[in-house]
Amino acid sequence: MIVSNDTIITPGETRPSVHATKGFSSKGYRPLAEVLLLLLIIVFCIFPFYWMVTTSLKTQLEALASPPSWIFEPTFANYIQVLFKDNVGQSLVNSLIVAVCTTALALILGTPAAYALSRFEFRRKKDLWFWFITNRMVSPIVLALPFFLIVRKLGMLDSHIVLILIYLTFNLPIVIWICTDQFRSIPWDLDEAAVLDGAKPFRIFWKICLPLAAPGIAVSAIFSFIFSWNELMYALVLTRKVAKTAPAMAVGFMEGYNLPYGKIMATSTLIVIPVIVFALIASKHLVRGLTMGAVK
Amino acid sequence: MLAVFAVATQASAWSLEEAAKPYAGTELEVVFLLRPGYEAAEKMIPEFEKKTGIKINIIKHPYENSLSEQVRDFVANGDLDIALIDLVWIGNFAENEWIVPVDKFTKNPDLADPELDLDDFFPLVLNAFGAWNGVVYGLPFDNYSGLMFYNKCMLKEAGFDRPPETWAELKDVYGPKLTKDGKYAFALQSKRNETQSCDSFARVLWPFGGSFLDQNFKSNLLSDGSQTGLKFRQDLMQYMPPGIVSYDHAETINALAQGDVAIITEWSAFYATLTNPETSKIVDCIEVSAEPKGPAGRKPALGGFSLAVASQADEKEQAAAWLFIQWVTSKANAKTYLELGGVPARQSVYKLPGVAEKYGYVNALVESWQEGVPEFRPRFAEWPQMTEIVQEWGTKIMLKEVTTEQGAKEIGSRVEALLKDAGYYDGKKPLAQ
Amino acid sequence: MLKIRHPRLTCLAFIGPAVISLLTIGIGPLAFAVYTSLHRYQLTNLRRTPFLGLENYQTVLSDYVFWEAMGRTMKLLIIVLPIQIIIGIGIALLLHKPGMSVLRTLTRLSLVIPMATTYAVVGLLGQVTFNIKYGVVNQLIGFLGFAPVNWIGDPNNAFIAICFWDIWQWTPFCSLVLLAGLTMVPVEVEEAARLETRNWWTVLRYVQFPFLIPGLTAILILRTADTLKLFDMVFTMTRGGPGSATELISLMIQRVGFRGFDQGLASAQAIILLALTIILSQLYIRFFYREV
Repeated sequence: MIVSNDTIITPGETRPSVHATKGFSSKGYRPLAEVLLLLLIIVFCIFPFYWMVTTSLKTQLEALASPPSWIFEPTFANYIQVLFKDNVGQSLVNSLIVAVCTTALALILGTPAAYALSRFEFRRKKDLWFWFITNRMVSPIVLALPFFLIVRKLGMLDSHIVLILIYLTFNLPIVIWICTDQFRSIPWDLDEAAVLDGAKPFRIFWKICLPLAAPGIAVSAIFSFIFSWNELMYALVLTRKVAKTAPAMAVGFMEGYNLPYGKIMATSTLIVIPVIVFALIASKHLVRGLTMGAVK
Repeated sequence: MLAVFAVATQASAWSLEEAAKPYAGTELEVVFLLRPGYEAAEKMIPEFEKKTGIKINIIKHPYENSLSEQVRDFVANGDLDIALIDLVWIGNFAENEWIVPVDKFTKNPDLADPELDLDDFFPLVLNAFGAWNGVVYGLPFDNYSGLMFYNKCMLKEAGFDRPPETWAELKDVYGPKLTKDGKYAFALQSKRNETQSCDSFARVLWPFGGSFLDQNFKSNLLSDGSQTGLKFRQDLMQYMPPGIVSYDHAETINALAQGDVAIITEWSAFYATLTNPETSKIVDCIEVSAEPKGPAGRKPALGGFSLAVASQADEKEQAAAWLFIQWVTSKANAKTYLELGGVPARQSVYKLPGVAEKYGYVNALVESWQEGVPEFRPRFAEWPQMTEIVQEWGTKIMLKEVTTEQGAKEIGSRVEALLKDAGYYDGKKPLAQ
Repeated sequence: MLKIRHPRLTCLAFIGPAVISLLTIGIGPLAFAVYTSLHRYQLTNLRRTPFLGLENYQTVLSDYVFWEAMGRTMKLLIIVLPIQIIIGIGIALLLHKPGMSVLRTLTRLSLVIPMATTYAVVGLLGQVTFNIKYGVVNQLIGFLGFAPVNWIGDPNNAFIAICFWDIWQWTPFCSLVLLAGLTMVPVEVEEAARLETRNWWTVLRYVQFPFLIPGLTAILILRTADTLKLFDMVFTMTRGGPGSATELISLMIQRVGFRGFDQGLASAQAIILLALTIILSQLYIRFFYREV
């Protein structure tokens, strides 16, 4: 599939109606069925999220009601406990630090590379592509094992920098992918004009193309943030206390007598809300990002 | 006269505050579990910190992760200063030289509390939890014995006025009568982790005359005793709730506490949960006794944790760590620890007037600690790998994916390969467990 | 389009840092993993790390526990992928129609939620909702007249539970990818087809389907790779249990490496997994990046 840069029709936007010309009877049960189906889909997608939030607002006793209760008195006690007493607040901060730094690093390293790939001619592009795709597809456990041993030798276990670096293995490909695409869509005339003016390549990149590519860069940053924030395996293996991120922290709630459902869900809600917000912002590009540009 | 006076003043001259003065300000890191004994210790810590100026930083982990966390830390020269040692890890930790023998400190008059009295610990417990190959490394801290907890009201309703004496009685007599109307007679925690190896698998080996290894360290699981025990467990499953293989301690305790199951054999530490009206519906019906006997006698489950000084800590931290370990397991503090919900291993505390009456499990506990078997689970360095094998096949047996014989064979061959590799069979390693 | 030929140095300067970073962080550890896999590397016994040659690989390939884990992983894929695609197409078709744009936009947005939810959280959610006593799922099926089911404690049901959550999480992805494919169909062609027939199936089969093929291929390959990666959700929900009913390949490797502490064996397993992944990525490139 050719990565093209003409009009991108994002899914769901209105198009010239293909159906209204003839055929579908727009009366009777059809619309009703559609409405119901759409509503069903919405409910199905949102219900677990709803359940998570409501459980997080229940007291422990309430959360262990059998069968579970739908109407109850909400309380923020779980959130307060979890944020201030159980170190979840700290782990959220860790997640934030790691996600932001690794995204920044990915952008710094990735945008020039993306520009190069969109403009310059050189061999071995295919190998690069292969390398990037494999990185996106590979299971983290493959790298987690040796990384653990290496980092341990270097005495750097349980530090933010370790996570920031290792997350580049999946962030950098994403950034490069999306940004290459974006740079390609910037017309060359600007480049040419600048060259004729005697500008150096870096200047062209920095002053001209980068600002124009801002939307794509923003999207890649969002993706990088989301994937870093959500990551579990590396965090589990490489951190212990100081740099423990929120998902790794959430796993630790799983023992104890009365499984603290309220607290677990409160932690979960806190973890999930930022990424959902970001994902909604970048929702139009979600598909492109997740398929590494193969599908738009 | 003068000599006696001199000795007396010297003996009474040791105090915690004095000993800790050089270490004020030191921070210690230790892993704690999410269990009552640790909560009790947590409540005691402010007093220690005030007296000594030494700060204790606790990192809480579910038991599931605690070994992995500590191993990763020790292997990477991390920050842990105190090692929390499950009795089955002691061989491993000791051989890797991650822990320091206590006599480094007990021989040091500045650090050694004259009231330490190692003999006051139950010998079985000190030996099993804190010592390896004759050397004491740690002091027993979080101590368990398997006990039988039962719902006397449910038993009474079914016509029983005493708990089962033997496992056979439990299965043949109590099982059928108590398993009806959605309730079950028994629940045996069998989740595929250490719980399976220790609470479920080992529990049915020893009372029936079986064991993991014979005296040559070859697998003993195909012996009559072992097979009888394993088959017994399969048979007993009909009186247990469905999905028992996913029951860990929380689920089993809860089953009893909510009145769904009549009898369980669980760790003594959970007594506090079962007698707390906030977490138990059967506060008025709960009773405790020692575990049932098998043909080979009463061999209750043995488990527990000791605290030892980690060798990766520097000298100051080691000394400070020792002071803490010594203090929290001391005779003087045993009563406080007990009252806050912990289970000390000091013989003296259980002899104090009123204690046995107040804590219903004391008699059963003391009795169990006289008869237990130290190698309930082998404690050598290879146990972490061995337990993985036992867990996997133990649960497969319970899920009826393999027969007891097949399971025993699989465990046997894999464990023997493991032990062969470690050098037990060609004399490179002494046969210590 | 004038292709500017820049000196080599410039190219390197632009792309160099990224490549070097990925080489150090990606290839370096990989090489070490290969090294480890050729030795015995027990974390609890690092004093002895004898060279084993290919023994670890032999153990892995002949260990039926490994193949069982692979089989389970493939089983999951084979069960969930068709369901995700079929439901995905359904949703895509629904969203492709005009009208009711508010509702359709709302649907499109709510589809984002499953995809974005942290996988670890999905597993925790799974534990809470599928709990036999306190879980809402049993309550809901109770309304329909079914007896409560033991989800997480029963090997088969636990597997169904993880299938369920995988479907919940990834069907939106499939539907959005396929929707993108549907929007590629040229308007005139679709119009013409709809003039010929009112049957949506016919339109789908003959007109829309060719445009769905790229999307389907992407889904096939990506989902396969993702299922090989699948760890977080299953780990937090069942930890691979009960027994090993839900122990997928990534979970198994993590268990061997960090609970059994045998890093040598785990590395060998990981390298084999990597080999599979490389095959998949080659396929992906062959399909989508022919002209790069």
